[in-house]
Amino acid sequence: MFPKKIRPMKITTWFKSLFEVWRREFRLVFTDAGVMLFFFALPLVYPLVYTIIYNPEIVTDIPIVVVDHARTSDSRQLARMFDDTQSIKVASYAADLEEARRAMREKKCYGILEIPSDYSKRLGNGDQAVVAFYDEMSLLLRYRAFMSAMTDIQLELGQQITMQRVSTGGLLTSDLAANGMPVKNEAFFLGDPTQGFASFIMPGIVVLILQQSMILGIAMLAGNAAERRRRNRGYDPLAVDASPVVTVLGRTLCYVIIYLPMSYYILTMVPAIFALPHVGSAADYMPFIFAMLVASAMLGQSIAVFITERETSMLVIVFTSVFFLFLSGLTWPRYAMNPFWTAVADCIPATWGVEGIIRILANGADISEVSRYYVNEWILAAIYFVTAVILARFLSPRLAKTTPPAKNA
Amino acid sequence: MIGASLRRGIKTLASRKIYIVMMVIVPLVSAFFFLNLMNEGLPLKVPSGMVDLDRSSMSRSVARNLRATELIEISGEYDNFNDALDKVRGGEIFGFFYIPRDFQKDALAGRTPTLSYYSNMTVFVPGTLSFKGFKTIAVTTMGGVVKTTLVSAGIGDDTAGSLLQPVVVQDHPMGNPWTNYSIYLSNSFIPCTLALLVMLVTAFSICHEIKTGSSVQWVATAGGRMWIALIGKLLPQTAVFSAVGIAMQGILYGFLHFPLNNHPMHIITAMILLVIACQAFAVGVCEIVPNLRLSLSICSLTGILSFSIAAFSFPVPQMYGAVGIFSYIVPIRYYFLIYIDQALNGIPIYFSRYYYAALLGFLLLPAVGLNRLKRHALNPVYVP
Repeated sequence: MFPKKIRPMKITTWFKSLFEVWRREFRLVFTDAGVMLFFFALPLVYPLVYTIIYNPEIVTDIPIVVVDHARTSDSRQLARMFDDTQSIKVASYAADLEEARRAMREKKCYGILEIPSDYSKRLGNGDQAVVAFYDEMSLLLRYRAFMSAMTDIQLELGQQITMQRVSTGGLLTSDLAANGMPVKNEAFFLGDPTQGFASFIMPGIVVLILQQSMILGIAMLAGNAAERRRRNRGYDPLAVDASPVVTVLGRTLCYVIIYLPMSYYILTMVPAIFALPHVGSAADYMPFIFAMLVASAMLGQSIAVFITERETSMLVIVFTSVFFLFLSGLTWPRYAMNPFWTAVADCIPATWGVEGIIRILANGADISEVSRYYVNEWILAAIYFVTAVILARFLSPRLAKTTPPAKNA
Repeated sequence: MIGASLRRGIKTLASRKIYIVMMVIVPLVSAFFFLNLMNEGLPLKVPSGMVDLDRSSMSRSVARNLRATELIEISGEYDNFNDALDKVRGGEIFGFFYIPRDFQKDALAGRTPTLSYYSNMTVFVPGTLSFKGFKTIAVTTMGGVVKTTLVSAGIGDDTAGSLLQPVVVQDHPMGNPWTNYSIYLSNSFIPCTLALLVMLVTAFSICHEIKTGSSVQWVATAGGRMWIALIGKLLPQTAVFSAVGIAMQGILYGFLHFPLNNHPMHIITAMILLVIACQAFAVGVCEIVPNLRLSLSICSLTGILSFSIAAFSFPVPQMYGAVGIFSYIVPIRYYFLIYIDQALNGIPIYFSRYYYAALLGFLLLPAVGLNRLKRHALNPVYVP
């Protein structure tokens, strides 16, 4: 891998040029407002903005309209039970379905409960009563809230009425009447016990923010270098003359050093500010995120070779964030992807980053439990290191060939 | 004048590969991406586990039921609670079902044992689906036990059934009876990606002229009239983007038969208006900051935030009031509302009138700063 030139090079010289690349890159970052915006403002501000949007966490008091054809105390009790749930609020009653539908069209309600006229009669007869619920399906979260409210009501009502029937009917038996149902069931929610939306989406999103902002910044730096070369007939006065290996490593060092504090802020302070799930320990998520940062830096440098203009970087990288979000499996689980997209997703550092970090932060996994993601992260880092070096060697103009080693910055 | 401007606009579009890539290839690839990725509609068969400490005939029948549900797939059986939890932490399963020791004995003796199930809500969709699957099984099991008790006490099978579930709430998901996730996500994310690209390309094409200094010639071609210059530059892009947008809708509603319960023209009009509104939005941004990098940054920022702030998943009324209002400054929000009314729910267009008007309203935005943009176009200074 090493170019012939540096083979006789002493190890001290090697480190010296590494340090030189690192120092120069640092200066390039801190003298460019555009890059600073990506490296600092984006990771600092975006997590806050996103969390503020989603911070109300759960959907409550969704207005529904009740069409009560029965108008009995039983049917009113049913409507009250809907109103009592956390997610539903009975906004008003309607005389018929048409009126209710009109309210839905005007967005005054998102669900309609229709109670048939024989509701109480059937209950009294010991038959099964069927009520209808119409959901407006524009938002998944609303539908989900309706569904869980409905299941709960059905169960609760079932137990109440059964109990009543069993005891009043004298059907039997001490057991059922006294103890209720012979089997209980209990649901436990792991990771995000409140089932809040911010708590679900934020631990994953922040990982994507880290990767994307870093790649954007790296691409912009590369665009700058390309523009400098165009202005100086193929020679970049601000580049350090070093082998591709040293250049890639030195730059990676620079980016990772900048991003480690950013990651600490994003993974420790932001969850603390908004009380997001945070049961993992820094000893687990910091090494993990370190691997992802290295892989992202290498990926960024592999892409950066193709950037020829400062601003096109934004054009071609920004929209990929949406793809990467979906490929990471946060919105659409990985097991349901076809092999092609799984393979594409496997090549993106943020995929493993999201998988690992959410399990460390929300499920309290330690790094050994997410070791397969951690190992994949390092494999990606190694692959992109090789591609970055090869691309830098063969695609970008070699400085030393065209110009004398320049020390004038 | 306008002819020359239009010719120049078309020529610019053809001059660089990046326009073709950003205006045609990326939007169509992104549409393919979303639709192909979520082809299944619902990510069924959530990898789940079970812990059976009872190993009785009853617990085996529960296990059989679990295996028969389409929502979950039992990919592992574990000997104890901790093993299962470790697998959840490691991301191999998204939840597990737990049958306690002596379950059958206790159930038949009336000692009310508890079936418990654990769903990992760290990943929302699989977590929810596994919860739903587990709950169904738990409730059915519960019902089965009660029924056995009742029937053995001499009550008829039918009576026992209605005794168990005296009230059934019949659920009618209107417009999306399959609860297909792709209908939720593709209908919002594909147009929003297009909106992002429209804003980026518009800002890029205007401010790139200023960066390279060719903006002087651009304004001169339009005879010094800024609005003609803008129309000449943007109208060809409007045509391309609208065609691409309508092609996307063709794939969604024509090819994949996603719900389109009203006249197709209603949603096609909305798409064209969305493209124009996004262009107007970007022109407005360029007028405020006539600088390539800054205007692109602002357009990227709003474009990416649109995915969240336009409330495709989290409803606006639930957001903080001060945050929710920002939902209404991005064009895609109105397109999304029109889509809900016209395509998903198919209600009369009367109810969507304000959304169409709002999209048109974005056209007024560029009028405000035309002179400022002209000043900068005539004296191009590139600030990196």
